[in-house]
Amino acid sequence: MTDESQPLRIFYLEDNPLIIFHVEAMIEDLGHIFAGSADSFAELKQTIDAYKFDGALVDIDLADGRTGPAAAAWLRDKGIPVLFVTGQEAIADEFSGAALGLVRKPVASADLAAKLELFRR
Amino acid sequence: MHRDEGSLDWVLALAPYRRDADYLESLLSEHGLLVRRAAEADDIRRQLEELPGLIVATHEALTPEVLEIVHAHLVGQPAWSELPIVILLDRAAPQARIRAELDAVWPGSRHIYYQRPVATLDLVSGVQSALLARLRQRDVRDHIEREVELRRELNHRVKNMLASVSSIFAMTRRGATSLDDFTEDFSGRLMALANVHTAVFEMDGEALDLAHVADLTFKPYRSGDQSRIRAAGPSVMLGREAATTLALCFHELATNALKYGALSVPGGHVGLDWTVSRPDELLTIRWVESGGPPVTAPSRTGYGTRYLTAALRNLFGSAPSIAYPPHGLEFAVSGLLSRPSLNPDARNVLIDHDR
Repeated sequence: MTDESQPLRIFYLEDNPLIIFHVEAMIEDLGHIFAGSADSFAELKQTIDAYKFDGALVDIDLADGRTGPAAAAWLRDKGIPVLFVTGQEAIADEFSGAALGLVRKPVASADLAAKLELFRR
Repeated sequence: MHRDEGSLDWVLALAPYRRDADYLESLLSEHGLLVRRAAEADDIRRQLEELPGLIVATHEALTPEVLEIVHAHLVGQPAWSELPIVILLDRAAPQARIRAELDAVWPGSRHIYYQRPVATLDLVSGVQSALLARLRQRDVRDHIEREVELRRELNHRVKNMLASVSSIFAMTRRGATSLDDFTEDFSGRLMALANVHTAVFEMDGEALDLAHVADLTFKPYRSGDQSRIRAAGPSVMLGREAATTLALCFHELATNALKYGALSVPGGHVGLDWTVSRPDELLTIRWVESGGPPVTAPSRTGYGTRYLTAALRNLFGSAPSIAYPPHGLEFAVSGLLSRPSLNPDARNVLIDHDR
């Protein structure tokens, strides 16, 4: 996990398919692996065992409401590192304890690349 | 929606003489009004924080300390609030001077004066009409709060829309071989997004029938009076996000059919149908092309295929199937209508719960 050349497996919790589509391509361009996505905290809980990943990107508002912060805390408690990906910086700040950091929307590739490296620690 | 302390429908009695306080409480209670008393400075402050509908103050209550406490509360009121204050003065009191003084020290409030002894019915009806006015202030407050909420929601949606457009831009650019290509693809996708946005807005904002989504997406491709895309299926109401995603998917399928598939030649057709199986409420959507040039699987995965896969996997919980038999492209996707992303009712429940 500390080898910088190893690709990371990334899961994405987000309910806007266009953004998933774009971020998935970015992740692959960066040489990482897109492990999968879910659009609600409820679905994440149901399907998490089907996926294997090193870290998760989590939006604040999901298909089942403002459940991103709770999902992030739930993942953190499972030992899975999280980055918020959101345009709602103020809310992400409020729950900053649940995540390693914040990637602003619209997502810039360089920002994403740098923040993903936090998953290696 | 609001806490009890914000209900603005009770009376705060400031009457240092116990007999006065007892009298006010029993009189107003008899007429169905909730009365709370406060005497000590801290108690008055605390009660004011809980937003009384109005204050009834006797002459004796008007000490410099009380004047100051109420003053501090009044200057800190939100813009919608104008606290009614009923003041009971003795006949012998210097009325004009007291009025002038209270006008100066208690801004943002409406003062109603009575001379003691007060005719009880006068006092009760005065208090009741002041409380009614106060309740209208509460309506204004609720309206303002709702507007703040709507502005926040609007801001969130605009940001989301910009992020969507930014994704469409970046992903269209990746696949484009020329500027003309890019321009055509990007404006087509933007138009599809704009059309479905307009349709969702016109439908009162939250839900759209799948048939309507298909209709509005294919309208630009219709020539003459017959559509070469035949859409059929039962009424299925979709949430805003689901309708948007499906419209963009239909757009990709239609433009692909026009460029390379069944709609690229005069005799070709597309059958689009959807079914909902009971009792599990599994929605299945199929797109089947026929009569077009012989199909071969594309050599590379373009925007359309990538988008359909990523978007529908997220929306339906499982990836769509896309097959390329020689007689025409076949596409299908299935998902449970109980998924929150597909079901506007589930979403509304959450929104209501949030308030």
